[in-house]
Amino acid sequence: MAAGPEGTGGGTRGALSGLRVLEVADRHGEFCGKLLADMGAEVIKVERPGGDESRRIGPFAEDLPGPNRSLHFWHYNTNKRSLTLDLDSADGRALFRKLASQADAVVDGKGTTYLGDRGLGYESLREANPRLVFTMITPFGQSGPWRDYLGGDLVELALGGPVYSTGYDDLSLAPIRPAGGHAYHTAAHFAFIGTLAALFEREQSGLGQQVDCSAHEAIAATVEFANIFHIYQNVRVRRQTGRHAWGGLTPPTQFLCNDGSYVNVLRYQRVLGLAADDNWNTLMEWLHEEGMAGDLADPANADARRRLESDELEWRVADVLAEFAQGHTADELFHGGQKRELLFTRIYEPEELLEDEQMRSRGFSVPVLHAEFNSTFTYPGAPYHFSRTPWAIRTRAPLLGEDNIAILVGELGLSRADLVALREQGTV
Amino acid sequence: MAETAGVVTSYVRTGQRSALNSPLPRHSGPLVGVRVCDFTIGKAGPQATAILADLGAEVIKVERPAPPRPRTSDLPLRAQTLWGIGPGYANNNNRNKFSITADVKRPRAMALVEKLIAASDVVTASFSAHVLPSWGLTYDRLEYLRPGIICLSMPGFGHTGPYSSYQTLGPSVQAGSGLTFMSGRPDMPPAGWGYSYMDNTGGYYGAMAVLLAMIHRVRTGEGQFIDLAQVEAGATLNGAVYLDYSVNGRRFVRLGNRSPHPPAAPHGIYRCLGDDRWCAISVQTDEQWQGLKRVMGEPEWPSRDEFATRLGRYREQDSLDALLEAWTRSQEPFRLMARLQAAGVPAGVVQTGVDLGTSDPQLREFFPKAEHPELGWRRFEGVPTAFCRTPGGLFKAAPLPGEHNPLVFEEVLGLDGHEIDALGKEGAI
Repeated sequence: MAAGPEGTGGGTRGALSGLRVLEVADRHGEFCGKLLADMGAEVIKVERPGGDESRRIGPFAEDLPGPNRSLHFWHYNTNKRSLTLDLDSADGRALFRKLASQADAVVDGKGTTYLGDRGLGYESLREANPRLVFTMITPFGQSGPWRDYLGGDLVELALGGPVYSTGYDDLSLAPIRPAGGHAYHTAAHFAFIGTLAALFEREQSGLGQQVDCSAHEAIAATVEFANIFHIYQNVRVRRQTGRHAWGGLTPPTQFLCNDGSYVNVLRYQRVLGLAADDNWNTLMEWLHEEGMAGDLADPANADARRRLESDELEWRVADVLAEFAQGHTADELFHGGQKRELLFTRIYEPEELLEDEQMRSRGFSVPVLHAEFNSTFTYPGAPYHFSRTPWAIRTRAPLLGEDNIAILVGELGLSRADLVALREQGTV
Repeated sequence: MAETAGVVTSYVRTGQRSALNSPLPRHSGPLVGVRVCDFTIGKAGPQATAILADLGAEVIKVERPAPPRPRTSDLPLRAQTLWGIGPGYANNNNRNKFSITADVKRPRAMALVEKLIAASDVVTASFSAHVLPSWGLTYDRLEYLRPGIICLSMPGFGHTGPYSSYQTLGPSVQAGSGLTFMSGRPDMPPAGWGYSYMDNTGGYYGAMAVLLAMIHRVRTGEGQFIDLAQVEAGATLNGAVYLDYSVNGRRFVRLGNRSPHPPAAPHGIYRCLGDDRWCAISVQTDEQWQGLKRVMGEPEWPSRDEFATRLGRYREQDSLDALLEAWTRSQEPFRLMARLQAAGVPAGVVQTGVDLGTSDPQLREFFPKAEHPELGWRRFEGVPTAFCRTPGGLFKAAPLPGEHNPLVFEEVLGLDGHEIDALGKEGAI
């Protein structure tokens, strides 16, 4: 098979190599910066002199807090350079303006007015640099009554819709915010898409532009059937354990196996393919081999229309699968199902992925050198494999102000004495 | 980009922007002039190409000529409720696109498809790894048909490795990437996600990958193949969790809605007045705690010593949550949110899809309408990225299968009416 990451390849540089980005960001914006940096852009993280808040988010290496020990910061700031700059000072603003005049993009995640109030908004920066792409990420958008609401992961995922759809069959339990910082991820995904589209368009027009991304809109566009059920049936969906919130209660899709892990099983529900003869027959053969088919083998069930119409059958299949799972490990069902083209998937714990055969074979885990620890740590790898312009972690996240001298002295031409003065007045 | 400016000029001069003179109706946006030959099925792939179409690309879906679908109204009542949502789902996911039909198993239809590929900038597919090559459409073949073409292929587990033939839907990708496990309470099974987060997010990574490859192409003229394993895209989102394991040896445990990083409380979803109504409250600082106390009317219990510090509140959050919820139960959620926000406390109602589409003041313009020939005027999910100079957005509803056969076959691919009739009779289109 010729189509694959090998064989068509070439380059070692990411698709964005040669582009320079200034990041002045919060948690939404810094992930957008990482996505740019991991594809080769030179991203300068402009931090206040004490360091961004993000450096104070745990967990920390060896559980010892410190600006250069936040594992959160390590992950979200790979490949970046760090420049400390006080944008409340005239000198800091002048240096920022100079950098922006030579940059390809600015990622601004500091809120609706932060850079604008300091004379560093898009309108003023583009005068010196009409090719600049200026991407602004805000929790709730630039206008509207909730514009200045305080956000954060929990609040944004609640207001945007994901929380209402997620939780347990037992509706007396509170709905669940899926863990992992996905409000930030979702906003950053759209900010990244917008930045890339504007960079592409710039190659034709020669002009940059402002790109606005509201985390609230991004999240509201992501909730799938919650929107579709409203638009087409004017109902709100009901949340249920480990599966889609839906117009009504549906049978379970998540089963406990005899090794304590869970397996997710799809396509025996009517909505996803119980009516399809090949799914049904294959499942029946497998259950039969293991002496588990029981009353499901009733010849009447061979009729696709009956399977589609029967509430009872759908729930009965779920009971049988629950019992079937009790006699197997999650891996037995995952691989046994998939080899039969049935949609069984093991519910992996995140750490298990680092040891998984598939992930290992594709080089998912990547070693990243931390010279300051005299050590190499394992990071998650590429979300996509390009045949010519590879994703890569070239360098670990920057230490606080690590690139001050290289940028201010080496590139902007300040003298060492200037730098000392700036440092003494707290500008860098 | 100065170093490649010369290449860019020659790229434009050679007229590679194939959709610029297209007979199909023209959308607006930063990707106008880009044509995508789209084989994707399911949700994640169509989500990727919906984004490209929202931004102005001309996306032509290549669909199987199918026997007429059963009409929803012919289905049994219960199945109507379950299935009746399918056409609306597809309408949303395929907005702004065009459609042709072609049975790729028939050589004459494949010849047409290859002609379309030769006039396209991007080919997209979301099948398991073996499918496109089994049709003869390896990247080498695509690149032969159209030098500099970009091919995005996004199987669940990717193009290589022992699971490359495995099938996935959104919930399987979530299960396989650790995302399902991480959601939920410690004393309960995983709650997972109440929707296919990874269908959407896998689609976003697909759109990103195409855009990245297009930027490379516009700078160098080079195309490339992208192998996007949706499971890997999902797994990268657990970054700090892996690092806690690889650096500190600690495994992830579910903590419901709580906030271990940074340790903060109250931090949860609290029941309010009304039918299944809830409000998120996230107190991260002492100031926010004082704000919450004021909104509660300064009752006695929050002044207890154990709640005086952030770490104390975090340690005692079981009792804190119970006491707080005893109060929120009597509060109307939207008013509660407004009062808390006014007091500087991050709070947000757990909004339903109906709330988003009808009463959310930030989303009044966010669900635009378009008319579908069978489904009528309907709302669509909007585009959360606004471009000040080259706006995209909603342009049309989803196409019917084969709706654009005449325009594409005659005016893009240069067939005459007889040839099209013959292909139709043969069942090839």
